[in-house]
Amino acid sequence: MDISEQLKVGLSEEEVEPFLAETADLVQRRRSQGRIIFDRFIRNRAAVVGAVFLILMFLFCFVGPFLWRIDPNQINVANVNETLAGPSWAHPFGTDDVGRDQFARAMAGGQVSLIVGMLSMLLGIGIGTLIGSIAGFYGGWLDNILMRLTDVVLCVPLYLLLFVLSAAFSDGSPRSVVLIIAFFSWTYAARLIRGEFLALREREFVMAARTIGAKNLRLMFRHILPNAAGPIIVNATLLVGTNIITESVLSYFGFGIQPPNSTWGTMISTGNEFVNTDAWLVFIPGLLIFITVLSFNLVGDGLRDALDPYMTER
Amino acid sequence: MGRYVIRRILQAIPLLFLFSIFMFILIHLMPGGPDAVIFNPHLTPAARAAMRARFGLDDPLPIQYLKWLGDSLRGDFGFSFANNLPVTTILAQRFPATLELFGSALAFALIFAVLLGVIAGVRQGTITDYTLTTISYFGISMPIFLFALLLQYIFGVQLHWLPTSGMETEGYTFDAFNTFLDRFLHLILPMIALSLLFIAGWSRYLRSSMIEVVKQDYMRTAHAKGVGPIAALFRHALRNALIPLVTVVALDFGSVAGGATITEGIFAWPGMGLLFLQSLEARDYPVLLASLMLSAVFVIGFNLIADILYAVLDPRIRYA
Repeated sequence: MDISEQLKVGLSEEEVEPFLAETADLVQRRRSQGRIIFDRFIRNRAAVVGAVFLILMFLFCFVGPFLWRIDPNQINVANVNETLAGPSWAHPFGTDDVGRDQFARAMAGGQVSLIVGMLSMLLGIGIGTLIGSIAGFYGGWLDNILMRLTDVVLCVPLYLLLFVLSAAFSDGSPRSVVLIIAFFSWTYAARLIRGEFLALREREFVMAARTIGAKNLRLMFRHILPNAAGPIIVNATLLVGTNIITESVLSYFGFGIQPPNSTWGTMISTGNEFVNTDAWLVFIPGLLIFITVLSFNLVGDGLRDALDPYMTER
Repeated sequence: MGRYVIRRILQAIPLLFLFSIFMFILIHLMPGGPDAVIFNPHLTPAARAAMRARFGLDDPLPIQYLKWLGDSLRGDFGFSFANNLPVTTILAQRFPATLELFGSALAFALIFAVLLGVIAGVRQGTITDYTLTTISYFGISMPIFLFALLLQYIFGVQLHWLPTSGMETEGYTFDAFNTFLDRFLHLILPMIALSLLFIAGWSRYLRSSMIEVVKQDYMRTAHAKGVGPIAALFRHALRNALIPLVTVVALDFGSVAGGATITEGIFAWPGMGLLFLQSLEARDYPVLLASLMLSAVFVIGFNLIADILYAVLDPRIRYA
């Protein structure tokens, strides 16, 4: 056999078939890296539950309005029995004080909550990757300055900064809330990615790539970044959960999304005055937030376990 | 070590400067000013102008900043726009309440986190571990304000066991024992609400720490020497596993001057967090700036303390 034959590890599908019946457990199919990670993820039951919940939640929020045709903003004060009604077949989540159907509002609010959470994550990770990779790769005074910059932002407890930022800049639209939450997210991502780059830039593959003439920029984004992708993906997933919570806190205190947009957080704050008698107005959106964030956390941890290169192959 | 500390303190000073400039700019970018919120709406334009001049609101921003900086460095943080009390007095009034809430929440969280973390770590893989990690998952997935509302609803509204807001019952004066009992009852719910996030985070941290430690060689040596399981746990495993946790606790304690804002807001607990929310609403610039600077000093200070603690507790760590 020549060298290219020897380098082939494992067997392809056609070669395996005849032997499967007798030696099923001894034969190891060649799997792509993505397939290996996927298999490991599937084996983690909690992560799969989380993923299923997430898919259901997305379907609920984005496909639901096409199936459940009541308008979430439809005010209905004519019939007093329709206001502050408990859960029923007509209104599975009940109605609020002006007769709006909470089921439809939960879908609409969920759309905004989920989109804000994910967009702010993407923006935060994007900026954080840029800054972190530059700081980690070049080191020296550039690293110092950029890290001082993140320190200034991290100087105070998070919510103090967020409240002041919202008071200063936010006009209540989802766009400004996304920007504000991303402003906090990038510091965390930048730290993380800087650490990864600091570790990875000393590895042999970087030296090898440099030897064949790769320039700095190419090294950073073509060689090092794909290797740092694992922790970035894990933290991105966990960050969505955190951002959804942050957005709901901001909205609850009145600093986040303003009417006419509504999110789960605003639903909780408007329902709060009725919590003595109609607690579902507060706790159903709360439950939705909780389940969504829990699912993101489970999926994130499942990804972390699936991507961990030191776990023995099972 | 001493040189490291001095270098960190010297690095902290420009950081605080930068931070104060950053916050000053942000605060003045907030729409409306104190004259929109606090001033008597019936003031004549002349009187209004006089008030603004008195508070220095018409000077250009850099001048305002430099005036504030000069006074602050001399210890004078000015007077609140809202009620004309010296800012330092206001902060001194509010801080003990936050310290009481935050400190008790931290202590409570530490006890539970150590319990949960150690049990889960030692019994890794069993049902106990699975249950405890699930509980900590729930803890980090639940927004604090939701948990606080839930506690208020269950224990206050439905069961009527515990009061739902404030630090003590208004309008009554009790004897010493009943005052203590009254304040204690008021403290319970906010303390539990605030401690949830800490318990969840710290127990996960301690659990993985314990798992690491139990695999170490010195544990095997202790077992071979005949050290009993409990003694080995406390004297060898726990001591080593607690070191990273101590630094995390120190870091989290740094948020004392404002980290309880959400809990204080929901339970109307009269501390620094509530002061911050109120002065943010009222555009009370001196109080805002002073409480933000106080928070920053605490955060930076406890960051340094955490690093020092880590070096002190673990002799393998050496700083340049």
